[in-house]
Amino acid sequence: MAASIACGSSLQMATFEGLSARSLGLRGAEPAGSVELATGRSAARRDGRGRSVVTAGLKDLRDRIATVKNTQKITDAMKLVAAAKVRRAQEAVVNGRPFSENLVKVLYNVNEQISTEDIDIPLTTVRPVKKIALVVITGDRGLCGGFNNYVLKKAEKRMAEIRNMGIDLTVVSIGKKGNSYFKRRPAIPVDRFLDAGNAPTTKEAQAVADELFSLFVSEEVDKVELLYTRFVSLIKSDPIIHTLLPLSPQGEVCDISGNCVDAADDEMFRLTTKDGKFSVERETIRTETVDFAGVLTFEQEPVQILDALLPLYLNSQILRALQESIASELAARMNAMSNASDNASDLKKSLSVSYNRQRQAKITGEILEIVAGSTVTI
Amino acid sequence: MDTFRLRVIAPDRIIFDSRAAEVILATNTGLVGILPNHAPLLTGLDIGILKIRTNELWSVVAVMGGFAMVHDNDITILVNEAENAKEINLQEAQEIFQLTQTKVSQADGRKENIEANLNLKRAKARLDAIQEGIKEGTAS
Repeated sequence: MAASIACGSSLQMATFEGLSARSLGLRGAEPAGSVELATGRSAARRDGRGRSVVTAGLKDLRDRIATVKNTQKITDAMKLVAAAKVRRAQEAVVNGRPFSENLVKVLYNVNEQISTEDIDIPLTTVRPVKKIALVVITGDRGLCGGFNNYVLKKAEKRMAEIRNMGIDLTVVSIGKKGNSYFKRRPAIPVDRFLDAGNAPTTKEAQAVADELFSLFVSEEVDKVELLYTRFVSLIKSDPIIHTLLPLSPQGEVCDISGNCVDAADDEMFRLTTKDGKFSVERETIRTETVDFAGVLTFEQEPVQILDALLPLYLNSQILRALQESIASELAARMNAMSNASDNASDLKKSLSVSYNRQRQAKITGEILEIVAGSTVTI
Repeated sequence: MDTFRLRVIAPDRIIFDSRAAEVILATNTGLVGILPNHAPLLTGLDIGILKIRTNELWSVVAVMGGFAMVHDNDITILVNEAENAKEINLQEAQEIFQLTQTKVSQADGRKENIEANLNLKRAKARLDAIQEGIKEGTAS
């Protein structure tokens, strides 16, 4: 039985003892000269089973596999770093509890002493709305999936709504990503750019509060809305809009559709593990509001005391929004990096398969050459 | 020695949580001194200085507004922000104070006025705190 073998590096239609190259599990019909590619050009094709297959030189494949491996290590590390930072963000929220608890207790008691007609505090003044300030909280860095985009899309939507109502608007942008977005769009009036930072402290919250306080009290704006992402789940990212100013004297937190939550109900987020995977839990803690007004003497008029309390409340609201936003950003980054690691893993697998196939094809080719050579000499 | 429990809390951290012998608050209706077994009291605090006495030593803290609650020998003070005089540099505080003064005179419009005045008050509080701290010998 004559074996018809094509000599040389190409395996074009090689047969050995009646078996074709294809039946031996080798890839057939390779474009000539592509097995050893010096320049590293590669082409992606579909193989017999419909999987995407990359054609490139052996050395290039090895290099690519090494690169993908390194990238995977980086994305893995970034995921773990983000997870650790979420825990720190959680602790920050827990550290803020003593403040908000005590504040709520006093707020409740002071309000009991005041009738609604007496209140004439700048921060609670409800005016006809001619101009709204929209505070948009984004992140400073990228690589967090759709996090920043969702916030900015929601901001655009809200801005369109506001404009349609015929109300004037200005933006306070927090976070480098939002800052660059608005800087590229000079048509949108921006009042102030601020950076978000890694771990929001009361200093950052105070800077924002100052800006909003002066905007509102000077009557430049009549309403302040806060747009941020609450830390609800690791997968979903849903930005919400809260009405920040005017404050309600009782400290209620309302969203723009008018749904209000009592100040005493505080929701805290927690990153835990469930079934071996990360998950987010939110628990509502209700602060006990004990009536101690009968016991305490008010040094100043209740309204004056409320005037001192409400800026504190504004500060803590802003700080909490910043903290939630950071936690959501970290969760989005965890997700994005996790997906990237998975993709890298898949890519590495398909590259390895391609590499091994080529390696085996090369060896078989050499064997066939030797055999062909030896057959001739006999 | 007679002491009371004193807590000074900011939105992001607890600044002081220990026992003290005397505390002087700067309220918007004047200075108020609190000794152990004071009657229950609730007062707002202005942007100013807070003095705490522990073991005959006075610590001075610049506070940026808040309120104080005295009840059952337990004082809870909530502040927007606080800075211990020990951490304030005298020269820096003076420079910032002068800067805020010029900003106030340059302020244009109601909003800038409000902002500039707030900053001036805060700078003054910091300066007062460090000067008071030097007087008491607990800061330099």
